[in-house]
Amino acid sequence: MAVPTLTGPPADGRLTPSPPGKPRRGGWTALRYVGLIGAALVFVGPFVWIWISSLRTSADIGRDPFGLPTELNWDNYVNAFVTGRFGAYLGNTFLYVAFVVPLVLLLASMAAYALTLVRTRITGLLFVLILLGVMVPFQSIMIPQYYVVRDLGLLGSYWGIIVPSLALGLPFGIFLMRAFFLTLPAELRDAARVDGASELRVFWHVMLPLARPGILSLAVFQFMFTWNAFLIPLLYGQHENLRPVASGIMFFVGEYNTDRAAIAAAVTLTCLPVIITYLFLQRYFIAGMTAGALK
Amino acid sequence: MSRTAAPPAAPPAPRRPAAGAQSRRRAWSPWRWSPAARLAAVFLAPAILLYLVFVLVPLVQSVWLSLHEWDGVNPVKTFVGLANYADLVGDRIFRTSVRNTLIWVGLGTAASLALSLGLALLAWGAGRGFAVFRTLYFMPQVLPTVVVGIVWGWIYHPSFGALNRILDAVGLDGLQRGWLGEPDIAVYAILAASVWASIGLSFVIFSAALNNVSAELLDAAKVDGANAVQRFRHVIVPQLSHAVTLVTSLLLIHNFQAFDMVWVMTRGGPQNSTQLIATYTYQNAFADNQVGYGAALSVVLTVICLIVTVVFVRLRERTSEV
Repeated sequence: MAVPTLTGPPADGRLTPSPPGKPRRGGWTALRYVGLIGAALVFVGPFVWIWISSLRTSADIGRDPFGLPTELNWDNYVNAFVTGRFGAYLGNTFLYVAFVVPLVLLLASMAAYALTLVRTRITGLLFVLILLGVMVPFQSIMIPQYYVVRDLGLLGSYWGIIVPSLALGLPFGIFLMRAFFLTLPAELRDAARVDGASELRVFWHVMLPLARPGILSLAVFQFMFTWNAFLIPLLYGQHENLRPVASGIMFFVGEYNTDRAAIAAAVTLTCLPVIITYLFLQRYFIAGMTAGALK
Repeated sequence: MSRTAAPPAAPPAPRRPAAGAQSRRRAWSPWRWSPAARLAAVFLAPAILLYLVFVLVPLVQSVWLSLHEWDGVNPVKTFVGLANYADLVGDRIFRTSVRNTLIWVGLGTAASLALSLGLALLAWGAGRGFAVFRTLYFMPQVLPTVVVGIVWGWIYHPSFGALNRILDAVGLDGLQRGWLGEPDIAVYAILAASVWASIGLSFVIFSAALNNVSAELLDAAKVDGANAVQRFRHVIVPQLSHAVTLVTSLLLIHNFQAFDMVWVMTRGGPQNSTQLIATYTYQNAFADNQVGYGAALSVVLTVICLIVTVVFVRLRERTSEV
């Protein structure tokens, strides 16, 4: 796969569509960097503003929203953890990610492989039905789904959030993994069979390892979907013990809407784990996101 | 390759699915399926079961529910035929929500597409700095939409929000607004926040695609005297067509799913001016106990989504043939 080439910076600066003729080049480059840095400020500025605010007091922020903290005030974080229950929210989010992401990866890979293994009218129809699930918004099915979850007795339990999240992750997961399995040459499968491998071994030891870029891609997407999920926990996890950070912070903001410093600390706590994960695993995020773009 | 390898191991495995007619004649018993078909059935079962129970059946049920009047609690649902749909016609909030949904899907997708492509072209070949810019641009994308909504709620705050303060500082205080409080502009203010948060992914995909643009073709065009605009239109764009399709599909799906941002920032207000079909559905079904009416709204959302999808696929087919 061409994935590794994506992670590095572009190989050659001369690829740029800069106008011909040397003299104008300097001005063009300066202009380009002004644009790029301006955009960077627009994307990162708001968060820096919030992070700084989280170390100030609300009275301070009221006087001057853009000031710097006079002394570092960590009380807002203590407040978020103790009265805002952010420890529990973060724990719940980790739990949902730990269950939903691996299960989506496994079930979507299996189903996608099956769809490429047997190409009949039935599997063709199944794939069309699954495409329907990729396109239709969650809000189109949430009303009856709510009553399905209720009738199964899952409402207000961890499973009530995990199982629907899993089911909703499958259409996109199958779609993505199928595309990857289709890029693998069928000869590899045949060769493994000739060597006497069972169908299960062919999948587990030959085809699945070859589909790693696809699995990585899906892992990144599903991690973000699950971490950021808001409406599913709001609907199915109606108890505050079940809230993940993304919906927990809503309730926190509702209760403390005048205490701006406390909200800033809560926002920071919600952001930091994802941002740290992202900064450390950036290569995989970017490779995973773009793997689909190159086929 | 496989043709030469297959004959020695003739009997067990290589019953290729290509022989469709043959497989149809076989008796329909799982025990006589090939090992591959049996594995496929076992592999598909859990995913299909979950998909059926939690996605496909609810999709059909929402049509059925939309023909009823139901408060969500009463064991009896009253069949009312198409009355819920008739009510939609006269519902002013419904018309607003359809208009807003189309604004999100149309304007939102176009704006994200144009801005991310522009930014990717700007960053293309920025050398070492590129990796840093990519890291920063992508950051909003990894954050929960709820958090983005809260942060932009601060930016738009009428008195101490960053936007009004900045406008004041540069002497444009005439443009100051209560951004989320005025029905005419609130929906665009929320959409701007959504576009801001969704540029990162498109930017990364476009950047990856630009790195694959053939340098020889570009140089050849330059030698032939094509100017920057011509090179972009006739050399770069055709090579980006796959990325454009991918980004557009992702953005369309993303914008049809929009809910969190509106819910966090305005809950559909002021005066229901920022309702999307999705938020109005939620409000009817789960806040106002109008489950049947909410279901009718969700069916409208499904239909609009499918129409847009079909039109998009058709357009793509036509342009890729040319």
